[in-house]
Amino acid sequence: MSESVFIAQAGLAECPRKRRLPARLDLLQSGSGLILALFMWGHMFFVASILLGETAMWSITRMFEGYFFLGGSQPRLVSGVVAGVLLVFVLHALLALRKFPISFRQLQTMRAHVKAMRHEDSTLWIWQVYTGFALFFLASAHLYQMLVWPQNIGPYASADRMWSDGLWPFYLLMLLAVELHGGIGLYRLTMKWGWPNASRELLKKLKWALTAFFLILGLATLGAYMKIGFEHRAHYGERYQPEHLPTWLEHLAPQGDFAPPSERAPTPIHPLERQP
Amino acid sequence: MSAEQHNAPRKVTLNILRYNPQDENDIPRLQACDIEEADGMTLFIALNEIREHQDPTLQFDFVCRAGICGSCAMMVNGSPRLACRTLVKELPQVSTLTPLPFFELIGDLSVNTGKWMRGMSERLETWLHGVEENVDLRKIEARMTPEEADAVYEMDRCVECGCCVAACGTAQMRPDFVGAVGMGKIARFRLDPRDTRNDDDYFEVIGDDTGVFGCMSLLACHDVCPKSLPLKTQIAFLRRKMALIG
Amino acid sequence: MKTIITDVLIIGGGLAGLRTAIGAKRRGHEVIVLSLVPPKRSHSAAAQGGMQASLANVVKGQGDCEDIHFEDTVRGSDWGADQIVARMFVNTAPKAVRELAAWGTPWSRVKGGDRTVIINGQKVTITERMEAEGLIAQRDFGGTKKWRTCYVSDGTGHAMLFTTSDQAIANGIAVHERTEALSLIHDGERCYGAVVRNLITGELTAYLAKATAIATGGAGRLYRVTTNAVICEGMGHALALETGVAALGNMEAVQFHPTGIFPAGILVTEGCRGDGGLLRDVEGHRFMPDYEPEKKELASRDVVSRRMEEHIRKGMGASSRFGEHLWLDITLLGRQHIEHNLREVKEICQYFLGIDPAEKWIPVRPAQHYTMGGVRTRPTGESPYLKGLFAAGEAACWDLHGFNRLGGNSVAETVVAGMIVGERIADFCDRPENNIAAPIHLAREFVQREEAKLQALLTSSGTENAFKLCTEMQEIMTRCVGIFRTADDLQDGVSHLQRLLQKSRDIGLCGKSWGSNPELVAAYRIRRMLKLALTIAYGAYQRTESRGAHFREDFPARNDKDWLKRTLAFWPTQDTEATLPHLDYEPLEVKRMELPPGWRGYGTKNHIDHPDTQARQFEVERIRSAIQGKGGDRHQLQEALMPYLDQLPAALQGRNERLDEPLENQA
Repeated sequence: MSESVFIAQAGLAECPRKRRLPARLDLLQSGSGLILALFMWGHMFFVASILLGETAMWSITRMFEGYFFLGGSQPRLVSGVVAGVLLVFVLHALLALRKFPISFRQLQTMRAHVKAMRHEDSTLWIWQVYTGFALFFLASAHLYQMLVWPQNIGPYASADRMWSDGLWPFYLLMLLAVELHGGIGLYRLTMKWGWPNASRELLKKLKWALTAFFLILGLATLGAYMKIGFEHRAHYGERYQPEHLPTWLEHLAPQGDFAPPSERAPTPIHPLERQP
Repeated sequence: MSAEQHNAPRKVTLNILRYNPQDENDIPRLQACDIEEADGMTLFIALNEIREHQDPTLQFDFVCRAGICGSCAMMVNGSPRLACRTLVKELPQVSTLTPLPFFELIGDLSVNTGKWMRGMSERLETWLHGVEENVDLRKIEARMTPEEADAVYEMDRCVECGCCVAACGTAQMRPDFVGAVGMGKIARFRLDPRDTRNDDDYFEVIGDDTGVFGCMSLLACHDVCPKSLPLKTQIAFLRRKMALIG
Repeated sequence: MKTIITDVLIIGGGLAGLRTAIGAKRRGHEVIVLSLVPPKRSHSAAAQGGMQASLANVVKGQGDCEDIHFEDTVRGSDWGADQIVARMFVNTAPKAVRELAAWGTPWSRVKGGDRTVIINGQKVTITERMEAEGLIAQRDFGGTKKWRTCYVSDGTGHAMLFTTSDQAIANGIAVHERTEALSLIHDGERCYGAVVRNLITGELTAYLAKATAIATGGAGRLYRVTTNAVICEGMGHALALETGVAALGNMEAVQFHPTGIFPAGILVTEGCRGDGGLLRDVEGHRFMPDYEPEKKELASRDVVSRRMEEHIRKGMGASSRFGEHLWLDITLLGRQHIEHNLREVKEICQYFLGIDPAEKWIPVRPAQHYTMGGVRTRPTGESPYLKGLFAAGEAACWDLHGFNRLGGNSVAETVVAGMIVGERIADFCDRPENNIAAPIHLAREFVQREEAKLQALLTSSGTENAFKLCTEMQEIMTRCVGIFRTADDLQDGVSHLQRLLQKSRDIGLCGKSWGSNPELVAAYRIRRMLKLALTIAYGAYQRTESRGAHFREDFPARNDKDWLKRTLAFWPTQDTEATLPHLDYEPLEVKRMELPPGWRGYGTKNHIDHPDTQARQFEVERIRSAIQGKGGDRHQLQEALMPYLDQLPAALQGRNERLDEPLENQA
């Protein structure tokens, strides 16, 4: 074992100068939160593409799988991104744990404090704790699913998951948790590090407007998937295949995929895409 | 005579927390005290009236009764305020008065903020550093720009009333947290060109989870500060500087 | 019995107490400060406007020096001040400001170039010297010839107190908060410390010390309408008085501040008028120039307060449901100035009156403000009657203020006295003959006596209510011993107070707790407060002249012939039934005065001369011409008129540098 371990055990780690760790941890927490929140917003726009139609969503999914650049879909690319997000998520969760109430008594004190004070920013923080706690489970489960079955993203695959697999309540909860948590978190970041010359009232209004926007967008998206899932319940497991794409996109697609039907080779079904 | 003079004075109920921690058998409870509102009546006047006419055992602290000394901070309907400058007419018909949380309770509405503040001051060394033992007092004073002096005074206006700490969510969970008052003091000395400490030195006292990196920016401190200190800006500024050291 | 032994015991944790403590501690003595409240809550924090020191940095202060500050102070005191002490004070005040500057007080600073100020109701542009840029600024105050009041916005006392308290912490000075001294431990000749009650637990402890200092501030709470904090009950005065040995000086000299907000009595600073604010009557008329054409709103406080009450008596007050008042108009100063330099005033108006002083006039009426009287001491701060007992600040009467204190001289006095008395206490403790063998027996006796008194109160079946007695006393003091005094009122007041004192021996309590018990505190304090009230009222009754703040309608002239003397009050402790102090008088020697008595330059010109006055005036003139004839400078002249430097600790004897008076040019 290194010398530093023994020095730390003697309680002398911070002598003569204090360790720089807390500063770095705080920065990391803020940084990881910022990355996750921005990712979440982008993510929301991608899944919301379903509102523009199945083809739009299909195209975006395929794009992320490299379909338009690599001559075929590589869902592992998605796994890679998910793995990255998962890492940041775990890091953020670990760091955020430092700020959680660590005993029931602390939670009780804090709840009483927030309840009696009726102070908006403090109340928001309790909600951040609750939603953060929920996201430990919800986001972990979701991220795991996407990591392992990245190919199950698509207009029908996702819609089946909502409806036929009955996961819509899970996504509804996660939507609420993620939007609240992220929105509050971003607002808190501006307060914490000081947004030069910005009015707090304005930032708070902006925060609520953004949360409302993404919640509405999210709910509409969820609704759209549920509707598709309901209509598609008889064909559970079937994958969406657009008839044709806008011309500019069709050019990007691998040769022959969007040739007239007579010239098209039969699409092989990926072994994993068969229903479990 | 104005119309309001004809109105019967409003009856106001104050639910006051009663508890004597020195008495082992005592149980915390809210005691309802009814008073008749008078013109210009502050909680200072109301509480003294209750003590003089209803319950002489009621404990609370007032000193200047002019909003200057910071002695009389208490929770008024759940939020910390200086009682002496809280007008009864601004309160609802039924109000609750409780002592500041976090600080050691002396009894009823009286808490030992002074003891905590002294401890904080010793811990953070909130005094001007680099004072020469023997300043030549005959000589013209060292210069300081008017702007520097104003900026220091802006933060120097803190009265150590404890409102910021009582309002702070972090402090409720971390008894070792220095609170906005502590960080504000460091900000004050950091602004002072006479202080010889640098950011490394300040990092030593507030660069951890009991200081700026423990603060969760709930900003209740900023919102309740009776002296309207720019705590939000100063703490964010301090955090940026301290993060640079880290 | 718990006993704590220390070198120096300081009772009171305000500016005077803390600065004294720092002085003694820096000289290597162990110091304990007792304080009713956390020291930063002390009433020193309420001083808003500033501290006088002749730095002469601003252009309107140019030419200022110790001499002018000295003359302003003595005239302000209506020649009641000890001129030696006044000299010590004016020479130390610049050093005190500069020391605080070095310790961290954020004094407002001079900005070179043009600025607009309000003087006599008019906007005037003045040009500050560029070479003064960054030095400590001064503002105008009442009763001064120059702009001399150094300030920190309008939170001067707060900033000074926090600086001093922080330095006390830095020096590791122990402050025992929430403790109250109940009596001094003494043997009739020497003071050995105090019996101290812990206000949280009720525990009594004997503190034994070589030197004990009283720095407990004023006694404003003897009056109903006062600017003073609720802790300013004169308990330090009472400690000394109840020894029966130490004397209180000039207790009848009570200052009323012209601008207490009406009706609460909360202070708005003299800085309001110093910065150009005006007093107006019911018709909006600015009336002060009618009475005081020269100094107008900025005559000394006693004069302005009296003129205001006089004007109200003429029916010119504005009326409200609480009674009559006048208006303080600072709207002409402009919002920028008010929000920058008068922030506390703005907050007070906003919270207590619900008005914006940049828009509306402030209702004001004179309110009790300052206790010129106090524990009589020598210029060293030590009581001439009880060895080892010192006093400093408002609680002391080393006699800087005589019968009226100038605005800005009180916070100045606290630190100056702390600097001087702190050194003197250290000197005292350094001398081997002042060592004590801890008198444990004596201490036990005193503790048991206090314990018995408290037990008697707690078990008393008496019927009197302490709070009620207090309210009655405050009413009597406000009614009978206020700004205008007459023999009838005073006699009436004295007999009322005597009855109350008798009643106070029959107080019964509802709460029987030995520990934290506000009713018990009120009960033992009211007895002491009544004794103080009686020394004030009785002293005022006996003093058949008008001097400074003591104004007798039946004797409106200052009478130097019969009354150029200091009142000394002793309490006859051997008589437990006594209801009156024993008064004695100590003459002020005209023959030794640097500034012989004359007209103050404001107020009524009607004094009766002392027989020695004229001779001394001639003498002073003769010395002046002789020195000036020889080309002597002001320092030589001063030295010839009234030598005093040997009274100052060596470290404080030096001259003060100014922009116009560089040190190297001085001898």
